Amino acid sequence: METIPKTEEQPNPTPPERLAYSIQEAADMLGVNYFSVYRLIQRGKLKVCRALRGKLLVPRTELLKLLATE
Amino acid sequence: MNNPFEHRRPTELEDKAHAEAVRHFADHLKQFPASRVVVERLERDADKIALAANRAAAKPTPKENVIQADDGKQWHKSVDLMENIHLCHRPISYGAEYAVVEHSPARSTNEILNRGWNATEVVKEFTQQQRQALQLWTEDMTAQVQEFLAEKFPGQDLSRVVDAFIHKCTTQAVSQKHSLTHGHEQNHSRGMRV
Repeated sequence: METIPKTEEQPNPTPPERLAYSIQEAADMLGVNYFSVYRLIQRGKLKVCRALRGKLLVPRTELLKLLATE
Repeated sequence: MNNPFEHRRPTELEDKAHAEAVRHFADHLKQFPASRVVVERLERDADKIALAANRAAAKPTPKENVIQADDGKQWHKSVDLMENIHLCHRPISYGAEYAVVEHSPARSTNEILNRGWNATEVVKEFTQQQRQALQLWTEDMTAQVQEFLAEKFPGQDLSRVVDAFIHKCTTQAVSQKHSLTHGHEQNHSRGMRV
């Protein structure tokens, strides 16, 4: 009897990297409190964009840039 | 901003939505009032802080309070403004220059945030920047609460809940446990060398 060859199981694809984070997420990643992140934004050290309703989002690239320059 | 629930009691839905928002944004509710209190204290005491810095500039500084900032110059810590942020001075030929210097313990750096010849102006400029950062926080928090409620209770007008939440955040008293001011004032009095 012929056996049907098993199809190789595909590993779970890794989720795509997030493009941006909320202030809380950014604060957690940087290990600082929320006010420190808003202070960085106010000083222009961390560039952000606004989502719908005006919620601030920190692009991943800006976080990496900040860490590289700091 | 007034608390809208003082004028008209919340509906059952508004009550539920408010409780959910308070639960979801508990960290904001804990952190915002503590930061707000620090900024309010700076606004209230700006003149006193500047006076303390002026007096400190007229006296010799203990060696342990002299730091090197990122501009390569030596600065003398006069007053602690916030955690790791100090109002400093350095003698110059015709008086003193003042600066707000932020110390980063992780990187062992001392970054100058503001500087000038007038201590009051330096403190006030720094304080205004902190107020602007708080304003950014308030706007962002408002947007976040709106988004959260729109997702949780689609199609409902919960604008009063958003207003009540922001009112709570911007007026809530700070418990001793969460107060930055308590520890800060201790630093402050220690930092003031008058």
